[in-house]
Amino acid sequence: MAVKPKLTYFNCRGSGEPIRYLLAYGNTEYEDVRFEDEEFPKLKPNFPYGQVPVLEINGKMIPQTLAICRYLAKRNGLYGSDDFEAMQIDAVADAIVDLRNAFTFCYWITPEDQRPAHEEKLKKQTLPFYLSRFEKSLQENNGYFVNGKLSYADIFFAGQVQHFSDNTKYDITDGYPQLKALVEKVENIPQIKAWIEKRPKTDF
Amino acid sequence: MAPKYKLTYFPIKGLAEPIRFLFSYGGIEFEDFRFSQEDWPKFKPNTPFGQTPILEVDGKVIHQSTTICRYVARQVGLAGADDWEAVQIDAVVDTITDFRSKIQNYFYDSDPVSKEKKKGSLFKETIPFYLPKFEELVKNNGGYFVNGKLTWADVYFVGYLDYLNFMAGVNLLEKYPTLRSLCTTVLELPGIKEWVAKRPVTPN
Repeated sequence: MAVKPKLTYFNCRGSGEPIRYLLAYGNTEYEDVRFEDEEFPKLKPNFPYGQVPVLEINGKMIPQTLAICRYLAKRNGLYGSDDFEAMQIDAVADAIVDLRNAFTFCYWITPEDQRPAHEEKLKKQTLPFYLSRFEKSLQENNGYFVNGKLSYADIFFAGQVQHFSDNTKYDITDGYPQLKALVEKVENIPQIKAWIEKRPKTDF
Repeated sequence: MAPKYKLTYFPIKGLAEPIRFLFSYGGIEFEDFRFSQEDWPKFKPNTPFGQTPILEVDGKVIHQSTTICRYVARQVGLAGADDWEAVQIDAVVDTITDFRSKIQNYFYDSDPVSKEKKKGSLFKETIPFYLPKFEELVKNNGGYFVNGKLTWADVYFVGYLDYLNFMAGVNLLEKYPTLRSLCTTVLELPGIKEWVAKRPVTPN
């Protein structure tokens, strides 16, 4: 990449953090542009589909979190060794996004007065449904999501998990030792650890 | 030896049709297994996350329709010439998926009051937001979504169209000549043309 890439996102971890983890992993220098919630309406028209995160590469804005993650994964050896492995990794990332969409619906779309019922369902059904399957994948794959080795799916999960726990107000990996170990493993990758230590501190 | 492919889905076009289009474009044989609505409860527990379509590749099960599409696109040479093209395709595909999700969110709402409200926002905001952007993108890219040539983003969009029109209850592309032209182009492609002529006839 000739010019420093520029990531634009809210001033929070949210959907941006997995991308920041991947950029850190690759020791990629980039501009970490953040804006506050109130600024978003004004900035929205600047983005291809009015959404963030966007990663600007050589002057072109690429939207869509997973598209960006996959691009960075390829450049950093985190996308498996063949098309089938790549597909397995993509499927895990998609499932994590499905879980994230459930969170978004519950905590960011549903009006506060209607939230309790949705939160009950999320905590009692949706989360155990997904986490038990993720836990099983890790058990069967030597502590990683796919084929016993680190891929962007592992980093994506570790980059998202704090955001989930911020919403539920408890650590969602409690009771899931493999998931807890994975998060710890990713967070201790030196480049990612260094990023976590220096990143801006935000509530979400 | 070529892998043995089995696609499992409801007896509709829905989310599986782009996959069927891609296999057909590449002349790749696949088993197009459709279970009946009544049989779904029987199949559901055997899927990774309770969802279909699933693709079995020599018996190994993969879920997530877009991920499956991407894999098949790679097998048939429609996933871009390099990582840069691939990320642009991925970004368009994910945006089409966002558009599809919003239409689904309206269509599958079981509460008539809520559904009517969503209809207003779908036709006043969502559709007029996305379709003109898609129209312009295709116009500016020589009649295709990315880089002036056929990629799986084009097949994905056209493969979804009947399902999208069914859910929206209108011919979505009525006012969008460039997108209609893309639709014609894709439907005329060898392999896809034959598939469309012989596939089971379903409204959605």
